[in-house]
Amino acid sequence: MTRESARSGERESGRAAPDALASRLAGLLTQCALKNQRAFADLYQLTAAKLYGVALRILRRQDWAEEVLQECYVSIWNHAGDYAAAKSAPLTWMTSIVRNRCLDWLRRPQTEATGEEYDIAVEAWRDETPGPMEQLVAATESAALARCLQQLEARQRQSIMLAFFHGMSHSELAGHMRQPLGTVKTWVRRGLERLKGCLSSAAG
Amino acid sequence: MATYKSPELRDRLAAEYVVGTLRGRARARFQSLLRYDPDLRRVVGEWEARITPLALAAGEIAPPARLWPALALRIGGAARGAGWTSSLAFWRGLAVTSTAFVLFLATFIGMAPRPEPPMAMVAVMEDDKGAPAMVVSWPPMKATRDPHIRIKVVQAHPTMAPGTSWELWMLPPGKAAPVSLGLITTDVDQTMKLKPALAGRMEGAWGVAMSIEPKDGSPTGAPTGPVIFKGQCVKIL
Repeated sequence: MTRESARSGERESGRAAPDALASRLAGLLTQCALKNQRAFADLYQLTAAKLYGVALRILRRQDWAEEVLQECYVSIWNHAGDYAAAKSAPLTWMTSIVRNRCLDWLRRPQTEATGEEYDIAVEAWRDETPGPMEQLVAATESAALARCLQQLEARQRQSIMLAFFHGMSHSELAGHMRQPLGTVKTWVRRGLERLKGCLSSAAG
Repeated sequence: MATYKSPELRDRLAAEYVVGTLRGRARARFQSLLRYDPDLRRVVGEWEARITPLALAAGEIAPPARLWPALALRIGGAARGAGWTSSLAFWRGLAVTSTAFVLFLATFIGMAPRPEPPMAMVAVMEDDKGAPAMVVSWPPMKATRDPHIRIKVVQAHPTMAPGTSWELWMLPPGKAAPVSLGLITTDVDQTMKLKPALAGRMEGAWGVAMSIEPKDGSPTGAPTGPVIFKGQCVKIL
């Protein structure tokens, strides 16, 4: 059992600011659960830009990102009572809501037409020289997560990032990376195992 | 139904669930298991803590200002009491732009305690420095028996020079000339009744403006003095 706590994602950066923000957000979520609308306004002000960035990165369309963001904040308001500080960091909880809804949105039958944008996005990922993927990895607030991702084999990292940001299934990954299904499954699985191992030794 | 007893399997599935590669029926099965298996939820939580922060590396992008008023209405729409609508916190939800700030204020107007339809269109009139000066708003003209526009003063303004008046204009679409809405003052909030014919045209307005005119308003039916405030109409409803 690792000594990582559920909040390791934000603590690992070693900076005070993320923790202070996390406490503030946790308090605001508690208030939202009590239907305190002022707290919701504060919560929105503190997090909307981050979460909109997430939605825009995954959906790649402003109109979709706006709609999803609104749905997610309504969901956050309605389910703030489900948030438990002991179980996850507030921003992680909120980000998961946004990410999951974005991925559900992409998987709706009507969104098949994103073909071209999707391909462009995938091409950008394929490049191993410092590009969007490297920038993303480097930009993550968690230094440990960045380091551990960088320690993966390129293909492991690529497949994980493609799945994470574009909601690709194993077979979609196999198609875009032009590899057999078994190969990409192994990349994803081994990549995740190594990530976990690296992160637990970082937290220890 | 498989219950996934092996810790390694549970861990792997949780990871794939969070990353997104677990799909279709396997995903659906996993999701239903999550509801009844707190330990599995804990494992998922650990994976979320590990990799979800990566999503935030996408960077911050301020969402469009119009998002907040709509959102605030959705979560607090029914609560027209003093707590929400009179609260400054209502305004703090905005991204930091003055136009956004006043758009929000305009929504505030729509949530006034009087029982009337909420505002359909809003125009934030800004001065030449781009600072919000007044907000003009009106309800859906078809929905009200008492067509009117509401004018809210945001910035206090110097008193008018003697012998002058301030006239409000509606800017219709296309190259049509501005239409006078009447004379206003800039020291107090006011409601201006509209004649039905004029009310009907408000829906298409793309902007409002205010000019300085002689004492009884423009003698020509068009602005003759300087336009000191102007703003674009934004559809709220």
